[in-house]
Amino acid sequence: MKEIYFNADAGYLEGVVRGYRDGLITKPQYSNLTQCETMDDLKLQLATTDYAPFLQNEPSPISTSTLSARCTDALVAEFQYLQQNSAEPISKFLEYITYGYMIDNVVLLITGTLHERDTHDLLEKCHPLGFFDTMPALCVATTVQDLYNTVMVDSPLAGYFRECLSAEDLNELNIEIIRNTLYKAYLEDFYNYCMACGEPTASIMSEILNFESDRRTVNITINSFGTELSKDDRSKLYPRLGNMYPEAQTRLARVDDMDQVKAILEQYSEYKTMLLGVNLNASSGGVGGNELSLEDRFFIKEVDLNKEAFEQQFHLGVFYAWLRLKEQEIRNIVWVAECISQQQKDKINNYTPIY
Amino acid sequence: MPFSRSWGQAHGRAKTTSIFRSEIMSLVQLYIPSDVARFTVAQLGELGLIQFRDLNGEVSAFQRSFVNDVRRFDEIERKLRYLRSQIERNDVDIYDFLNEDFVRASRGPRDIDDMEEKINAHENRVLKLTAAYKNLQLKHLELLENKHVLQEVSSLFSEIAGRQQTANAQGAGRSSAGGSLSGGQDNVPLLGRTDSLSRHSIGSLDAARAGDVGFDVEAGGPVIGHDINVGFITGVISRDRISTLERVLWRSLRGNMFLNYVDIEEPINDPKLDEPVYKSAFIVFAHGESLRDRATKITEALGATLYHVDSNAERRQEELIETMSRLDDLQQILENNNAARINELTSVSEQINTWFTVVRKEKAIYHMLNLFNYDANRNCLIAEGWCATNDIPAIQSALYLATEDAGSNVPTVLQELRTTKEPPTFVRTNKFTDGFQNIVDAYGVPKAGEVNPGLFTCITFPFLFALMFGDLGHGFLMTLCAALLCIYEKKLVWLAKDESLRMFYTGRYIILLMGIFSMFTGFLYNDIFSRALGIFSSGWTWPTDKGGEGVTVEATKLNHTYPIGIDPAWHHAGNSLLFTNSYKMKMSIVLGVIHMTLGICLQVPNALYFKKRINILHVFIPQIIFLFSIFGYLLFAIIFKWCTDWYARDASGELTHISPPSLLNMLIYMFLSPGSVNESEKMFRGQAVLQTFLLLLALVCVPWMLLVKPLILRREHQKIISEGYGRISSHVRVSSEGDDIGGAIVVAEQEEMEEDDFDFADIMINQTIHTIEFCLNSISNTASYLRLWALSLAHAQLSEVLWTMTFLPTLKMSGSFQPVAIMGGFAVWFVLTFSILIGMEGLSAFLHALRLHWVEFNNKFYDGTGVKFEPFSFKAILDEVEE
Repeated sequence: MKEIYFNADAGYLEGVVRGYRDGLITKPQYSNLTQCETMDDLKLQLATTDYAPFLQNEPSPISTSTLSARCTDALVAEFQYLQQNSAEPISKFLEYITYGYMIDNVVLLITGTLHERDTHDLLEKCHPLGFFDTMPALCVATTVQDLYNTVMVDSPLAGYFRECLSAEDLNELNIEIIRNTLYKAYLEDFYNYCMACGEPTASIMSEILNFESDRRTVNITINSFGTELSKDDRSKLYPRLGNMYPEAQTRLARVDDMDQVKAILEQYSEYKTMLLGVNLNASSGGVGGNELSLEDRFFIKEVDLNKEAFEQQFHLGVFYAWLRLKEQEIRNIVWVAECISQQQKDKINNYTPIY
Repeated sequence: MPFSRSWGQAHGRAKTTSIFRSEIMSLVQLYIPSDVARFTVAQLGELGLIQFRDLNGEVSAFQRSFVNDVRRFDEIERKLRYLRSQIERNDVDIYDFLNEDFVRASRGPRDIDDMEEKINAHENRVLKLTAAYKNLQLKHLELLENKHVLQEVSSLFSEIAGRQQTANAQGAGRSSAGGSLSGGQDNVPLLGRTDSLSRHSIGSLDAARAGDVGFDVEAGGPVIGHDINVGFITGVISRDRISTLERVLWRSLRGNMFLNYVDIEEPINDPKLDEPVYKSAFIVFAHGESLRDRATKITEALGATLYHVDSNAERRQEELIETMSRLDDLQQILENNNAARINELTSVSEQINTWFTVVRKEKAIYHMLNLFNYDANRNCLIAEGWCATNDIPAIQSALYLATEDAGSNVPTVLQELRTTKEPPTFVRTNKFTDGFQNIVDAYGVPKAGEVNPGLFTCITFPFLFALMFGDLGHGFLMTLCAALLCIYEKKLVWLAKDESLRMFYTGRYIILLMGIFSMFTGFLYNDIFSRALGIFSSGWTWPTDKGGEGVTVEATKLNHTYPIGIDPAWHHAGNSLLFTNSYKMKMSIVLGVIHMTLGICLQVPNALYFKKRINILHVFIPQIIFLFSIFGYLLFAIIFKWCTDWYARDASGELTHISPPSLLNMLIYMFLSPGSVNESEKMFRGQAVLQTFLLLLALVCVPWMLLVKPLILRREHQKIISEGYGRISSHVRVSSEGDDIGGAIVVAEQEEMEEDDFDFADIMINQTIHTIEFCLNSISNTASYLRLWALSLAHAQLSEVLWTMTFLPTLKMSGSFQPVAIMGGFAVWFVLTFSILIGMEGLSAFLHALRLHWVEFNNKFYDGTGVKFEPFSFKAILDEVEE
């Protein structure tokens, strides 16, 4: 029955978002991009894409950071258009999407303050989608308690913050813990919200969010090697969802090196194929050739999942999926741009194609 | 080359310029010396007669030879856009002026360089001036905000001082008790005062202490409270942030603060955002150095600008005076700077249109040059393109002009190529035929050489429309509107820019013809705003002796007929609907069959042109026989019935004829019981035999259409195979041997010949579908023309209803209100007539006429599989940018 009324609220926006999806850069366009010799060539090529209006008034030569900023502007403009035209329940869903960016911004500001960076520079680096009005005041916080009482308490993230309050002071480790705790709470909340939306949103989003939480679990595990984080604390950071919850998570909490992680992952058919030929020690981008890092594999898998979301109609997952795909596309463009500006043409093909 | 029919070399064929067929096209190759190339393309762009082919299809956009030039003009265009945005922002008028000399084709590279230099210089100056202006504005903003802060803080302090006195009067000694932290009662007067002065404050520093500060300050004592360390910070923040600031400060300082703010009335122009922003000045009192630092940090992070304000009243006054005078000075400088900027922009605005046009043209030129093949050895460019064979002389003179422009003596060489490629379709239209051709193109662009239905549409379209819209009055109004559009077409060009009005503007000649034809049919139907028009004397006369309400009278026939159109006597007759229905229904069938016959006959010129005799003998002839043996006979019967006076009596008063037969039944029984005609319905002798013969003829045509053509094609194919011939699948074109450039530049190009696989099953299936479709369509299409009757009936009835419901009652009224009622009634009637009858009914009749052309007419002969000729023309490019 829900399908009958779906288009009354979401029909227009779904049409728009599918149109945005069709505007994503395709493989032939990527191969044109990778053939570019200079940044000006790249700009010329991008003039045929949706980014054109954001790039056309930039004086040449364009730098990678401006390119990235303008591309993000394009993304933000499209997302805000969706937000402005949305009503319940989509507006709530879209709001949930922005919480992730808020968490990133909060952590960025706290870290920046810790290192005594200029507040205005930090604010400029924040993602525009994750802005909330009391956010700039984060720079005065020196303790976690302070952070919560001054700023977070009336932000949408307040509910997520409760679990972090046990930490005493702000240092690198605690910030990471805060980030992951926040994200864990956010993921679980978002997951529950999606479940409450009913089918088919629930099934589509659960697949995407399960993957997301698995990825976080693996990343937390890998990143905690060689830090002071105790194994108990580690397991507390894992989101309580995902394909690996709870059995594999309890085992992951106890491992000490990459090979053990791999052994656990290989028990899952979804991840087994993904791990084939992966270089566990390589960082993103790799050293060229076909050797891809685990992170890249995760990106590829994520792109696949998000593309699948478009195969079905009458659900809200498309909005989330589109945003993720667009973000990946911007990462790709920036990667290509970096390769061009640093003359590293041999690595230029290590982007993650979408369509 | 016997196997390929040449499009280009149409030797011995008349090169007509009419819209019966599309233009004969030539594929031409140009050898352009590279120093003349830019001039040549510029001249050809002005001419707009040649469509270039992309010879570098496999080269990506940025690897082409002239990509740097394209980029250069992109950059110039960006600068121009920047200048234009500045011009618009500062409300400078843009001159609607084009420097024709410069826009014309013959500007040299040096002129372009000069232009670029000028634009760069202007851009630099504007950039510098704008930057300076922004800087000054920032300073101005700072001073302005400072002024506001000073003013507000002063008034705040004096207010507190005033309160202090009251407080002292109320409870003397309370403040000297050491600023008790629980001076709760004192909040009351402070808050009360605040409210009455519409000031806003928040804070828990007790009022007594705040009072102390005020007192001390006013007394010129220590800067900060005498026994407690209370200080303050002042600043300006945008108004929507103030509540956030309050909240965060309150929480962060745990309430140990006092904030007061005042909205600054007028918006302050923020140069960073380039728009006016409403701001508020605030003052925060906080206790202790560290809390003040915290407050400073928070306010700054939230985007506030802090200003130092001295706590001494006299010094504040001095500062205020100084700020004011500096503000005045700065204002002067700002105005001067602005004047200089406006001046600069004005000088740009005179040229900017010209520059835009030139830059867009130049960019288009280099885009075209990118399509050409570059021969580095000979330093020349090779271009290929389609043009109308008739236009080759014009192109050649343009090439000559270009060579002259460049001051070169090496001419551009134009050579026609033989090709088997399907050329694009170029139908040379003028402003009259353009609209009609658009109607056809919307269905399908004619294939090269195919008969273009556009020619016939020019008349049949408005005519069929008018049959449905027949009303002299409505037609007149429509003609009037269209005529205005046509007469003032130059002045009304702006209509074409509006999306919804463009339809009417581009279709103005269609509407004109539709209106004129409607007047004609309206005259024949004898309808003017649903009234009859008695120009000639009626052929009927009404009895004058009988009559009255509810009495049926019968008109008597006079011995003359109404000379043209429908007799007005029918208009009020009780059986007028019976009469007009029968008349209009038959008329629709007659015109429909004629229209379809024209469509079928147009296969003949097509077959002749494409040299396909088989299409005449085995497609056209059976089709026309089939149609005529059934519907041609119906036509004959209709006209026969019209010509017979069924009620004529002979000398003895007997009826000479049977009662009029039903033609529908006749046609049905022609199929159901061939060979016999009911005596009571027999129209003429030998009718039964004729009908049987026609039926047999039609039946013979079906297998003829179905089988003969495919079988002949198969026989021919087998003959070719048995003689051992095959098809050549591709050939290499060798060009320019022995011309004056010399040598042999070989432009080899794989040209796919149309694959000529002979598949009998395929042809057979096609032919079967075609035959079934034709036979069924001949019935359904004929019936479809009945819409002519239906819509004209609807139109007539609707206008009648409108007349009797809105206007007529007012005419029958009596009393002194009648004039007013007539005015009102007429207004309603006219507005509805115009909007519903002319607007909406017109649209619906238009759509039905469109359908009759697209479906009933075009499917008889028209392929419409061509590709439109889109010549490279500056005019088209500039028009596109305008939109």
